[in-house]
Amino acid sequence: MAAQETSQSAIFRHAFGNVLSFTVLLLIGVMAFSIRLFSVIKYESVIHEFDPYFNYRVTQFLTKSGVYDFWNWFDDRTWYPLGRVIGGTVYPGLTLTAGTLWRILNSINIPLSVETVCVFTAPVFSAFASWATYLLTKEIKGAGAGLTAAALLAMVPSYISRSVAGSYDNEAVAIFALIFTFYLYIKTLNTGSLFYATLNAIAYFYMVCSWGGYTFIINLIPMHVLLCIVTGRYSPRLYIAYAPLVVLGTLLAALVPVVGFNAVMTSEHFASFLVFIIIHVVALVYYIKGILTPQMFKVAVTLVVSVGMVLCFAVLAVLIALVASSPTKGWSGRSLSLLDPTYASKYIPIIASVSEHQPPTWPSYFMDINVLAFLVPAGIIACFLPLSDASSFAVLYIVTSVYFSGVMVRLMLVLAPAACIMSGIALSEAFDVFTRSIKFHLVGTTQNPQENAGDATKVTQNDVKSEKSEDTVKERSSRKSKKKDKENIEKPSLVSRVEKRLLVLPLETSVMAVFLVVLLGAFYVVHCVWAAAEAYSAPSIVLTSRSHDGLHVFDDFREAYAWLSHNTEVDDKVASWWDYGYQTTAMANRTVIVDNNTWNNTHIATVGTALSSPEKAAWDIFNSLDVKYVLVVFGGLVGYPSDDINKFLWMVRIGGGVFPHIKEPDYLRDGQYRIDSQATPTMLNCLMYKLSYYRFVETDGRGYDKVRNTEIGKKHFKLNHFEEVFTTHHWMVRIYKLKSPRNRIRGKTKRSKSQKSGTSKRSTRKKNPWQ
Amino acid sequence: MAISPTTFAIAALLLISHLTSPAASLSSDPIVTELSALQSQSPTGVIRLSDSLLRRILSLPTPRPFHALIFFDAHHLHSKPELSLPTLKSEFALVSASFQSNNPNHKSKLFFFEVEFQESQSSFAQFGVNSLPHIRLIPPTASDVKTESIQMDAADYSRLADSMAEFIESRAKFTVGQINRPPVVSRKQIAFIIAVILIMTPFFLKKLISGNTIFHDKNIWMAGAVFVYFFSVSGAMFNIIRKMPMVIADRQDPSKLVFFYQGSGMQLGAEGFSIGFLYTIVGLLLAFVTHVLVRVKNKTAQRLVMLFALFVSFWAVKKVISLDNWKTGYSIHAYIPSSWQ
Repeated sequence: MAAQETSQSAIFRHAFGNVLSFTVLLLIGVMAFSIRLFSVIKYESVIHEFDPYFNYRVTQFLTKSGVYDFWNWFDDRTWYPLGRVIGGTVYPGLTLTAGTLWRILNSINIPLSVETVCVFTAPVFSAFASWATYLLTKEIKGAGAGLTAAALLAMVPSYISRSVAGSYDNEAVAIFALIFTFYLYIKTLNTGSLFYATLNAIAYFYMVCSWGGYTFIINLIPMHVLLCIVTGRYSPRLYIAYAPLVVLGTLLAALVPVVGFNAVMTSEHFASFLVFIIIHVVALVYYIKGILTPQMFKVAVTLVVSVGMVLCFAVLAVLIALVASSPTKGWSGRSLSLLDPTYASKYIPIIASVSEHQPPTWPSYFMDINVLAFLVPAGIIACFLPLSDASSFAVLYIVTSVYFSGVMVRLMLVLAPAACIMSGIALSEAFDVFTRSIKFHLVGTTQNPQENAGDATKVTQNDVKSEKSEDTVKERSSRKSKKKDKENIEKPSLVSRVEKRLLVLPLETSVMAVFLVVLLGAFYVVHCVWAAAEAYSAPSIVLTSRSHDGLHVFDDFREAYAWLSHNTEVDDKVASWWDYGYQTTAMANRTVIVDNNTWNNTHIATVGTALSSPEKAAWDIFNSLDVKYVLVVFGGLVGYPSDDINKFLWMVRIGGGVFPHIKEPDYLRDGQYRIDSQATPTMLNCLMYKLSYYRFVETDGRGYDKVRNTEIGKKHFKLNHFEEVFTTHHWMVRIYKLKSPRNRIRGKTKRSKSQKSGTSKRSTRKKNPWQ
Repeated sequence: MAISPTTFAIAALLLISHLTSPAASLSSDPIVTELSALQSQSPTGVIRLSDSLLRRILSLPTPRPFHALIFFDAHHLHSKPELSLPTLKSEFALVSASFQSNNPNHKSKLFFFEVEFQESQSSFAQFGVNSLPHIRLIPPTASDVKTESIQMDAADYSRLADSMAEFIESRAKFTVGQINRPPVVSRKQIAFIIAVILIMTPFFLKKLISGNTIFHDKNIWMAGAVFVYFFSVSGAMFNIIRKMPMVIADRQDPSKLVFFYQGSGMQLGAEGFSIGFLYTIVGLLLAFVTHVLVRVKNKTAQRLVMLFALFVSFWAVKKVISLDNWKTGYSIHAYIPSSWQ
């Protein structure tokens, strides 16, 4: 009777725990979604920044023309005159996801616009990502840690920065895919089921579709497999988890046009193949060990080891020869800069110029993962006590990602899930110990405390047990390894049961500790909400500034793009620095010379050279590219710091990298970049300076630049080959038209007269827009 | 290259008389031959310039048959790390050696010199050099070296040998070509290392199969993982890539040292490591309390250690928060309903 009752109460508790977990997960999903809506509330439902505009444009095309046209899309609106094959050069995961979402919503009569779907894709997927984190952490350390980690991930600032509503970029879905792939790998590793292994390959395929960061997975998982082998943790489950992933995953990855044969040809993937060979050799060794007597085995070992080594070396030699034959040794620049951190800054200005490729300082960690930075070491140690296959994977994940994040600040995004998992484990263990101690002292008995707070740990134990039974059912391979696994699994659960009886801390200090940990968590929440609301929600297409006389909205970008789309011919070409390429094609629907997909360095260098050349030379370059309009972004009037003058040195550097007559020192006075009266003549005569500061002196009479905090060097000058056609309300975008070449037949006097009258007419017609 | 007609005529004469003589001795100028000899004596091709030698070079009629690139050196300043004279000197030598090996025909068109402050002070005065590092190019046409020679800007040696070579290419119209850096490990060492690895592999594999290498000790892995974490969150990669010093001297008061730099875009070495330590210590203490301290039987010891751990953790978190607010200037605040205030 009593036994029945306890078993019944156990079932009830189990059910209650499941319902509770489900509710908590639902709430976590709601929180993950809603914390990302600050950008919509504070600004409007609009696509953010630069790359998302391209993705939005591609999605529009997909929903309008269908998958096959999208696949074969050749875009002639960009990289004029080269054009760009979109279908073959884009990671289609995000676009296909949003397109499918839109289609489903429309088919069930929810008529959302494509833009709305795009804006809210990222928040929806961050809810999915937090659920995936729950699953992954549950596999590693149980449901309690899983729930904590999911809650932490739902609001980790680093991930919020890439997934606020409107930030419609690859990372939005890729982080979910990354975590889910890891979950399925661990699930396969824990169960040894081929079903999960297949799902794992499909999840990997989705990740390859979504983001170039998939190379992280295809290097991390082999590293883990190798680690398991080296530390003597080889098991048939490991084989099932790894071999199908490599075979199926590589085949599937090769189906994505942008990856194609890279999946077998570039060095980033070679590690997986090498480990694939090694795991087979090891599997063979274990198999032979199983069927031979110990003496025979010793003989066999020598044989197998020597044959295996010869094979390995042969393959290694082939690989090295292959790698050495390619110019960058088969590695792409971005990956190389991860291994040799100083690589990019030395050789590739186009990578070094991007701010998110810089190494972070310590405040970046505090900003992006906040108090998790304190908790991670505890999580690492918890993963070692006891060490399982799954927890060793978590450790490897955090170690590699934290190293990579140290090299490139954008990879903080990959670190964030790992930090959440580790902190979730640490927090859950800490709460486990402290609450157990409190309850032990309050209840005052030696028996295992059975009330509410024990739930999480209870569920953990059940899980471990059920997994064990699954293991015994599903594994039908080598007997020896099975025995070993059984021992492995039984040990930790035994240890934890013993711990529950005896290991407690004093009451008062435990209460204090719980209080402090809760305080820490509260600070985390405050920080995350603050970061989501203040730091990461700006769409950067609409700017606001708060001053003593209220809120100012700067909507100059959209003003300029709207002007372009209404006042220029459909086939006109617009030149600007590459940052504004995607926005121009998406919002103004005009052809651009270069855009944010920086695939052709020479083309970018040509534009950089034109902008750093004197007017006539620049006109010649632009005219040769059929450019009609030149667009520059200028922040000197309102103090917008990321304008073209501040980016100008990179234009010079990138231009000078291809055209050696552009030299950086010519633009610097004593190594200093300045635009005031001390600036070099080359600087004051280059096109970028002239287009930015043309008629600037008319605004305040002395030409004071609010970004550089100085008066400009050359105030009164005329443009001979360009004419100003539009300047936005706050002067943030200025558009110039290339004058047509002068007519040689007309007389000199006539020409100058007509020109004069032209300029005077223009100046009377177009008043100073600042008034 | 503008070779004066007279030089050319003499060279032609010489060519007729010594048809078999090598290219280096083509120029008749005794100074050039002497310089070539000095150049070939020096292992890197950098010639030590004395006052008298300089005087003789400058006494040549103005379109001299060669460019001269002079590195101004001072031994007593080698110890000052901010000047980085030894690095620049070795890079200068590297450019010289690379130039001479890549352009054997132009060896006598561009000479690399170094001047030591202690032994040739008058040369320093002649060029008007009063601060180091200083590298100067004397074109063949320069008669007054003080005004007509070209000083290499700081930007031109910022990227060491590569940018020096670019300077030479832009000003003297010589292509230096590939900079031949000596490899970090020589060919023999590589062969030795490979041999050692080959010999060690079977032993290692044997140990691996029997399962007792240091890789099987999980404490080592744990320490390694925590160390990598500490290393990364302290921003050490930033320090390495940007070559940040540990501390810098205060601008207002040079005797004081600045350990913490205000402004989030930059950090100093010591600053990063101390914060990395604070980041790590809290987690380590938490792990210690939850995994080790619970096993201790003595209640008082537990209580004391825990109080200590809690205090240190609280202090560390508080310190990092305040330092972060100070450094970045952010004021993180909660969103409390206005009715509460």
